Amino acid sequence: MATSLSTPKLGTIFSSSTLQTFLYRHKFSVLNRSSLTINPQSASSCCYSSSFNFSKKTLGFLSDHRRHDVLIPRRFAARAESTNGAEPRHYDFDLFTIGAGSGVVRASRFAANFGASIAVVSSCLPPYLRRPPEECVLRGCVPKKLQVYASNYSHEFEESLGFGWSYNSEPTHDWSTLMANKNAELQRLTGIYKNILNNAGVKLIEGRGKIVDPHTVDVDGKLYTAWNILVSVGGRPSIPDIPGREYVIDSDAALDLESKPTKIAIVGGGYIALEFAGIFNGLQSDVHVFIRQKKVLRGFDEEIRDFVAEQMSLKGIEFHTEESPQAVIKSADGSFSLKTNKGTTDGFSHVMFATGLNTKNLGLVTVGVKLDKNGAILVDEYSRTSVPSIWAVGDVTDRMNLTPVALMEGGALAKTLFANEPTKPDFRTIGLIVYLLIVLRAAPSAVFSRPPIGQVGLNEQQAIEEYGDIDVYTANFRPLKATLSGLPDRVFMKLIVSAKTNQVVGLHMCGEDSAEIVQGFAVAIKAGLTKMQFDSTVGVHPISAEEFVTMRTPTRKIRNSSSGGKTDSEAKAAAGV
Amino acid sequence: MARCGDAVFCVFCGVQRNRHFCRGKFSFNPFDSRRSYRYTCLVIMSRKMLIDGDVGNGSEEDLYDFDLFVIGAGSGGTRASRFSAQYGAKVGVCELPFHPVSSEVVGGVGGTCVIRGCVPKKILVYGATFGPEIQDAKEYGWQVNENVDFDWKKLLHKKTEEIVRLNGVYKRLLSNAGVKLFEGEGRVVGPNEVEVIQLDGTKLSYSAKHILIATGSRAQRPDIPGQELAITSDEALSLDELPKRVVVLGGGYIAVEFASIWRGMGSTVNLCFRKELPLRGFDDEMRALVARNLEGRGIILHPQTTLTQLVKTEDGIKVTTDHGEELMADVVLFATGRIPNTKRLNLQSVGVELDRTGAVKVDEYSRTNVPSIWAIGDVTNRMNLTPVALMEGTMFAKTVFGNEPSKPDHSNVPCAVFCIPPLSVVGLSEEQAIEQLSGDILVFTSTFNPMKNTISGRQEKTLMKLIVSAETDKVVGASMCGPDAAEIMQGIAIAIKCGATKAQFDSTVGIHPSSAEEFVTMRSVTRRIAAAGKPKTNL
Repeated sequence: MATSLSTPKLGTIFSSSTLQTFLYRHKFSVLNRSSLTINPQSASSCCYSSSFNFSKKTLGFLSDHRRHDVLIPRRFAARAESTNGAEPRHYDFDLFTIGAGSGVVRASRFAANFGASIAVVSSCLPPYLRRPPEECVLRGCVPKKLQVYASNYSHEFEESLGFGWSYNSEPTHDWSTLMANKNAELQRLTGIYKNILNNAGVKLIEGRGKIVDPHTVDVDGKLYTAWNILVSVGGRPSIPDIPGREYVIDSDAALDLESKPTKIAIVGGGYIALEFAGIFNGLQSDVHVFIRQKKVLRGFDEEIRDFVAEQMSLKGIEFHTEESPQAVIKSADGSFSLKTNKGTTDGFSHVMFATGLNTKNLGLVTVGVKLDKNGAILVDEYSRTSVPSIWAVGDVTDRMNLTPVALMEGGALAKTLFANEPTKPDFRTIGLIVYLLIVLRAAPSAVFSRPPIGQVGLNEQQAIEEYGDIDVYTANFRPLKATLSGLPDRVFMKLIVSAKTNQVVGLHMCGEDSAEIVQGFAVAIKAGLTKMQFDSTVGVHPISAEEFVTMRTPTRKIRNSSSGGKTDSEAKAAAGV
Repeated sequence: MARCGDAVFCVFCGVQRNRHFCRGKFSFNPFDSRRSYRYTCLVIMSRKMLIDGDVGNGSEEDLYDFDLFVIGAGSGGTRASRFSAQYGAKVGVCELPFHPVSSEVVGGVGGTCVIRGCVPKKILVYGATFGPEIQDAKEYGWQVNENVDFDWKKLLHKKTEEIVRLNGVYKRLLSNAGVKLFEGEGRVVGPNEVEVIQLDGTKLSYSAKHILIATGSRAQRPDIPGQELAITSDEALSLDELPKRVVVLGGGYIAVEFASIWRGMGSTVNLCFRKELPLRGFDDEMRALVARNLEGRGIILHPQTTLTQLVKTEDGIKVTTDHGEELMADVVLFATGRIPNTKRLNLQSVGVELDRTGAVKVDEYSRTNVPSIWAIGDVTNRMNLTPVALMEGTMFAKTVFGNEPSKPDHSNVPCAVFCIPPLSVVGLSEEQAIEQLSGDILVFTSTFNPMKNTISGRQEKTLMKLIVSAETDKVVGASMCGPDAAEIMQGIAIAIKCGATKAQFDSTVGIHPSSAEEFVTMRSVTRRIAAAGKPKTNL
């Protein structure tokens, strides 16, 4: 349809029907929240069902100034001059980004394609010794993944015994070799990322950026002005104020330890904590994880939370649940003790905290950017902070602390700011809301714990809230490899299907290769495919992933809607042939 | 499971109609005693009328010992038996006694896949993958002693344990479904008559309303002097010793998989195949990469080569190629294709048509030219994969006993070759797309060094490829060669099967850092192949 919201570079499609379905589906959860009402004259396109209207009132949750910006995106078109007022002002750049993580790289490249002038400030020399802003490549997922690879070999050695391999002496791990090889690789990767920026015509400034007013950034004493400022420095763990906090390391330091921890305490139950627990466990450290909650990974599917904790326990990680750290005490022999509300555990060579965020030193608060209590930047659905010209994407926003979303957010943002296609403003705006919401909610993500977790779409609780009636399909099995190796490894898989539409709305997996497996399914879920369509796909044999297309009987059916069972059975029968 | 009869009320009484079932495809079945309430499908009604009432239809039921008798309890036969039984049919199935190496007289419940195919093969592939992994581990800081031992016998023993276990699982599946299992060789003696020759030579005769042939296929050997010295994949999965020197003849997936297995375990492997590249039928770019990877892992390739003679010597088997080259081997593997198991079924006597390879000819519902006889799986030589046989079995049961005629859909079936690293594909290859699509074709490729290799130093690229129709933006084919390719491809297969567009791929967020994310981040077209530029004929 001519009115589809597709944009050439990102290739995202919103056919009118997608929009309609989406709006319809989210009428309670989303539209109410943002008090979205739609008036008839703006609903010129056939995509709006008559019951939904959209107007400036829709954006009542935005301030006047910002609402105006959102509704008339052409104002942002390409030139770095203000065109809407009596006093045009000239800025050095259209967009000045602080931090060069993958979210920013993506945003900048897209924006540059629209003809915008962009600068990126990044302090990265030497990249892995100082605290660089590139959360993903230098501190976050890449070095972490390399460590995960390293740690996983111990599991492979164990497995290989069951396949006829044997070692005269048990393989041991040499920490310094890994660190040296890892750092060499990271240095190479940093170069690649810089090249991408330069290739895209983006000006790269080395240094440390600090915001001094809503349109000005100070880079080591030199001032740059910009129409908009984008912050993406990445989340940094923050360590709470407890006695002995000076002995505590964060995840950055944990990636660069000089020697292998013999016994490490990891405080936190989020994905970073679990990933590091897996890494150190695999590299033969004694690992203790302390979590305040009853379970790990708050926000994940409940069954996944239980399953991953069980699997990690089987690998020898000790979980201390409902324990809050109170003090770290250094003993005479140099080891550390961690005191919690439940008692004291001794003999740690390292104590690591994987909690919270830190966005200090960016000048955010002084220019009026609001942060939440964890230090994460508060942003609206448009990735915009409380200061209209300052935007934030990626980990620093604490919206979803995983990089690919940062990538998507970045891409979407670039479009908002610089796309100057003659599309209707209201249409573009609603498209953007829909776009961001869909992207954020349906984004696949992975936790590189051991075993890893992959997920896309909604978890069971969210699905119940949103759809009422759902069918849940689960599989919990011993993979072929484990039957031979004799290890207690298992795989857990879960499909959540809307009972009314038969659409698969959530997919979760914990087990070997989860991250790789889930990506392809994410395409299918993104495309809105149904369980029947999953079933019609032939499996690849013999692999783990085929389980997802051979789940025939629901483990449970959850029925909450008041409309009764009749409609359900009809919908299912219709999809059945 | 909704059957087409269940939710439907009579058109004549006009009480209620299920919209979906009444799209002109259904009419009432005059042979159904409960006809005033039920419908059956027009498409097969004419045929069904000849031989068939409805399942559970009182008077006819007693005429036959079984509603269904299945010959062969491999993947397809077991699936068809179980599902038919679940629909209420009385089912008998016969299978040869268990043995890891198949012949005319031995086989085993579970069939090729479980006993001498996918499962044991994958086990050996796992075993072989550890060799190079242990090498890679060193760069990650692991200190492993120089002489890592590999005990083939231990692996073989565990493999046998596992397939025996699975054989038992399959038997239980059948008995739990209420299927009667006979051990012995099955033969067709009439359109509704089967015979089971038991181990002790006694014969059992049964009548069945429907007969399903699911006897699978077996490896064939080329007719060259000394061919008896060579082995097939059956024996290769059960060798007593790990061979030090191997010659593999064949360029198909079995050949490259076994070459990878033995190489991974440290053997010297020579791979001889007739074409320029192995894996005929797959995407050429992928074939080239597989060939490069095989070579990179130390397999010696002999393209455009076949074997002319095998001679037993003191030093092993002397293999002569058609180029006059001589290779010494402890084991020679023939992976030169498989033939359907139809010889001893006595099918010709009842008039079931076979094609020239000996495969049973069937229509799109898996029915032979004899209306009461059906065939699924490798024996029909359509697409010889376990999950396809499962699908054919499911559709058979639905069609015949579920009162819901269903055709197996052989399009966009994903498959994997478990060479090391593996190859997996779904949909069209670039060559097929050029041939089959009318408009322009966009080819997106991504070649990269997997992150794991950056530290291990292994020089092995991963290649991913999407074939897109420029006209419709639909992704018509995907392929990948690299670690985890098979696991990655399963989800992609759903998207392609359901007609996902490139734009939909692009709008999916990537999982970072993974290999699979490349499939959703391919931004620029590697090449565009114009419709006009295509060769019109196969000159």
